[in-house]
Amino acid sequence: MSLSPELVRAFETALGTGSIIREPDELKTYECDGLTGYRVVPALVVLPRSTREVQAAVRLCHAHVLPFVARGAGTGLSGGAVPEAGGVVISLARMNRILEVDLESGRVTVEPGVTNLAVTQAVAPHGFYYAPDPSSQQVCTIGGNVAENSGGAHCLKHGFTVNHVTALEVVLPGGEIAYLGGKGLDPPGPDLLGVFIGSEGTLGIATRITLRILRKPETVRTLLAGFGSTSAAGAAVSGVIAAGILAGAMEIMDRLTLEAAEASVHAGYPAAGAILIVELDGNAVQVEDDMGRVEEICRSSGATEIRIAADDAERALFWKGRKAAFAAMGRVSHDYYVQDGVVPRTRLTEVLERIAALGREYGLRVGNVFHAGDGNLHPLVLYDRRNAGEPERAKELAEAILEICIDVGGSLTGEHGIGADKACRMPLMFSEADLETMQRLRRAFDPDGLCNPGKIFPTPRLCGEVPGPYRAHPLELAGLGERF
Amino acid sequence: MASVSRAEPRTVAEAAAALAEASREGRRVSIERAGGDVVLSTRGLDRVLEHEAGDLTATVEAGIRLSALSARLAAAGQMLALDPPGDPTIGACLAGDLSGPRRHRYGAPRDLVLGVTVVLADGTVASAGGKVVKNVAGYDLGKLFCGSQGRLGLIVRVSLRLHPRPAAERTLVVPVGSTEDAYRLAQLVHGSTLVPSAVDLLWRGAESRLALLLEGSERAVSAQVQAARALLGGEEAGAGVWDESRAWQERSRGRISFPPRGLVQTLGLYPEALARPLIGSAYVVEPAPDQVEAGARGLAERVRAAFDPQGTFV
Repeated sequence: MSLSPELVRAFETALGTGSIIREPDELKTYECDGLTGYRVVPALVVLPRSTREVQAAVRLCHAHVLPFVARGAGTGLSGGAVPEAGGVVISLARMNRILEVDLESGRVTVEPGVTNLAVTQAVAPHGFYYAPDPSSQQVCTIGGNVAENSGGAHCLKHGFTVNHVTALEVVLPGGEIAYLGGKGLDPPGPDLLGVFIGSEGTLGIATRITLRILRKPETVRTLLAGFGSTSAAGAAVSGVIAAGILAGAMEIMDRLTLEAAEASVHAGYPAAGAILIVELDGNAVQVEDDMGRVEEICRSSGATEIRIAADDAERALFWKGRKAAFAAMGRVSHDYYVQDGVVPRTRLTEVLERIAALGREYGLRVGNVFHAGDGNLHPLVLYDRRNAGEPERAKELAEAILEICIDVGGSLTGEHGIGADKACRMPLMFSEADLETMQRLRRAFDPDGLCNPGKIFPTPRLCGEVPGPYRAHPLELAGLGERF
Repeated sequence: MASVSRAEPRTVAEAAAALAEASREGRRVSIERAGGDVVLSTRGLDRVLEHEAGDLTATVEAGIRLSALSARLAAAGQMLALDPPGDPTIGACLAGDLSGPRRHRYGAPRDLVLGVTVVLADGTVASAGGKVVKNVAGYDLGKLFCGSQGRLGLIVRVSLRLHPRPAAERTLVVPVGSTEDAYRLAQLVHGSTLVPSAVDLLWRGAESRLALLLEGSERAVSAQVQAARALLGGEEAGAGVWDESRAWQERSRGRISFPPRGLVQTLGLYPEALARPLIGSAYVVEPAPDQVEAGARGLAERVRAAFDPQGTFV
């Protein structure tokens, strides 16, 4: 579907010819994000350079009833930046300036196209850093992080994007501009800033973002322990939490992902059934006290080998394999499907056993690499698309894993988002009344439903007429099962 | 004129029925305060529904008071890291965005809420979020209801992130003589690797004090107190200063938000204030001017109209 020449001209007049992409070949670049299974070629891509230009583009979309989606680096893993057919992509790639570094306030103000890592790089010489660290941090943008409420391995202690954004300038779906939050914290009124972050680009477009930066800790220490099984590693994680130790990160890799990572980046990991990485940061004496206890807990949970990084180089090596784990799976499998689900930390061992049983049932291998400290699983379902029926079986298995997550009181997604990918699964976790209440919020921001439609919420068009099975919400189960 | 009636639901179903009836009859509802034709109290909704110590999470009914919840959690060596003055309910903490000195390290209610169940004016019962510490499924309505002042809906259940209780805590109090002095000391803390749980400025001109709370293992706290004294001066003090700080906060009628760099200018406007200098908030004697920008205010009104179209909640 293409736009009328008059309409294209209107966009050109508003933004300049150099800021418009309309050729079919070039438009294809924008057909998908990091989840490449969902592809829709947009009718037009615009590349604004300022808030005013974003506003102009949104106003044109609004006036001509064109659906639009904002796009950062396109690294999302839930199809959240997939365009709507006949719609417009508003790329924030050119809005990539760091506008202000205010060290005294501990704030950095950026445009949405600035990469996550660039923020830390801007303040590192002064002894500060930006805490959220998604694995894609070298390329993913702050605007995308705001849309997805991105986390990362270190959000266990320091929180997610939502805990580190203090102010947003947003262009609302109707073209108005609003300023949410401020440089100080705790402004009066309902937390519109908090609910905007993580709304997956459905409530508007953030055009200016003020972030909180933190002082680099006095000490960071990293331990790597090998275990006979993921269950033993999981028991150590429970032990650390029970001991009241606030770790900066706790990550587990199972045998399959460990072997793949080792073959790929040669991190020198021990041959083990699973490894656990624990990172502690903060006051040097506190870290020393806690590290002693973590070591003890690992040992009593049956650790076969324990290493503590002697320096930054060794610490980087511990993390290298972990960060390369997804990509490394290409060495052991033709294709793989990355799932993202959350379970209560106390149910980790049980859930891993159930996932293993599912793998046997479906005749597919499942690798597990996960943020154990916060119960965020990333099962990797391995398959080979050349074998008839395998892609479908892999997708089914990945969905069955999600059902386990919900069954034990967890979530459909810990960090990748719902996007287009899981919209039809939302009824597993939320009732019709829950979803309808969320839609009230959406309509307040976007009465015409033009801002990234087709994401988060199940629709008959996306999911067919049959609603998915409803399971009671965890809060409801914790209560007395009341539901209307 | 119809007389004011009281509603004291003991279950979510009763709360939903009471609100649906009030809406139908066009009666206005106020939660835990006077003002409505129906005054709704959550005192009957005060149970701990689940405390999963191994997950450091709890799900409670919104009418439970902080003191009752704290006592329950202390038995497991855990705490909800919210310490506002008085003994508010969890629902009030969210709706009023209440926090205390520990806000510096642990955050505001918005940072500790994992999920909520709310009842809208028309009796709709809706949940959002969840009970796990990491979750990005759906809109995070728990945050939206923080600071909502009871005007979007009734909060009935809340899932919360907990923290381990620190083994030791000690307090350092540093005398402060001027706005510049206050700023200098706050910046020293900001630029240091100290990890205080609270940094409060009890501002009263030439006789002001800066108080630091240091928590952790015995050894770590003692090392931090030493480092803090070397950096800032001052003397160790009892925990009384925190009671004083909370009392001060409680009798203040206004709260303002400011960039931490603007501390000097902000303090210059007030002869007295209880400030959290590195958070950028201060509690002042008189009600503060409305700092919300017009676009955000308009948006908040649209959200309110979507959740409570009849304007039932006052």
